[in-house]
Amino acid sequence: MAMHFIFSDEAVLLFDFWSVHSPTGMALSVLVILLLAVLYESIKVGKARLLYQALMNLSIPTSQQLIEAADQDSSSSDSLPVSRSPLRWFLCHFGQSLLHVAQVVVGYFVMLAVMSYNTWIFFGVVLGSGVGYYLAYPLLSMT
Amino acid sequence: MSAVDEDEDLEKHSIQLFLLHFLNSVLSESSADSTFPGKMGHSHIMGMNMDMSGGDNSTMPPHHHPTTSSDHSHDHMMMMMPMTFYFGFKNVELLFSGLVINTAGEMAGAFVAVFLLAMFYEGLKIAREGLLRKSQVSIRYNSMPVPGPNGTILMETHKTVGQQMLSFPHLLQTVLHIIQVVISYFLMLIFMTYNGYLCIAVAAGAGTGYFLFSWKKAVVVDITEHCH
Repeated sequence: MAMHFIFSDEAVLLFDFWSVHSPTGMALSVLVILLLAVLYESIKVGKARLLYQALMNLSIPTSQQLIEAADQDSSSSDSLPVSRSPLRWFLCHFGQSLLHVAQVVVGYFVMLAVMSYNTWIFFGVVLGSGVGYYLAYPLLSMT
Repeated sequence: MSAVDEDEDLEKHSIQLFLLHFLNSVLSESSADSTFPGKMGHSHIMGMNMDMSGGDNSTMPPHHHPTTSSDHSHDHMMMMMPMTFYFGFKNVELLFSGLVINTAGEMAGAFVAVFLLAMFYEGLKIAREGLLRKSQVSIRYNSMPVPGPNGTILMETHKTVGQQMLSFPHLLQTVLHIIQVVISYFLMLIFMTYNGYLCIAVAAGAGTGYFLFSWKKAVVVDITEHCH
């Protein structure tokens, strides 16, 4: 295996059956890797959004509302959603953990794809990360 | 959001893996002769039962020959590192030259160890976040005069939240950061063995650690977060 970046139309990526021989196959593989990188970026944003939406749906007051509530009365604010609806919080957190596993796996797959030292694949990863960031991160601050 | 910023560490490490991958290949090339179990004579393997008579020099690592046609002068390097996923437990090198897995029992032990390591990594990340939040209580105000619109002098006050460099919390954070970096690279190298069982252990450990340690974290983030 070469220890430097090479331009080549032949590569074996991740699995035995994913062997590329032709320019068409390489273009297709670059597209798949690009989509994988986009998926990685969107999972990162999706985790944060899911958490925010879950907290909203479980009607947990945000810090803003807590400040307003504190101004009005000094009632004890129960900040733990576990005591309100434990099952829903458990399901939400379980979903978050599954998303985290997916993020870890996709992240390592993208890393191993770059490890093939194929320059086209590397371009695909870089472009995919850029496109994924461009598409997904504005959704972070969306309310 | 701090959750997303923390995840960017994984990205940074995945980019830096090129250096480690180069080092890894250089090291495996130089120690290629010492990785066959027949040549090893040490008995201080950490808790693993090494079957000294089981291995022989003809055992090849469970790999699949890549179908690419790179330069043939590097063929011997191709055989040391598998480049595709495989499931097996014969002659699996794990991180260090002394750690070679030969039996199913050793693979099970390695699975549990890697699982716990990935769980510990997630817990360390959460613990560092909590420590950082707790130690950021010192708020310094810096006031400086600036010219106003009508020629008057206004006092502009800047609020900085941070730690001093030589304080104990910062030193503790630094030590924990070093440990976190080392463990994250170890996990990356374990995943780089392309062994299916070990990769599943990494992913499952990360998921379980995230599940167990982020249980309460999500709520704390929302209530006490004042900067995001």
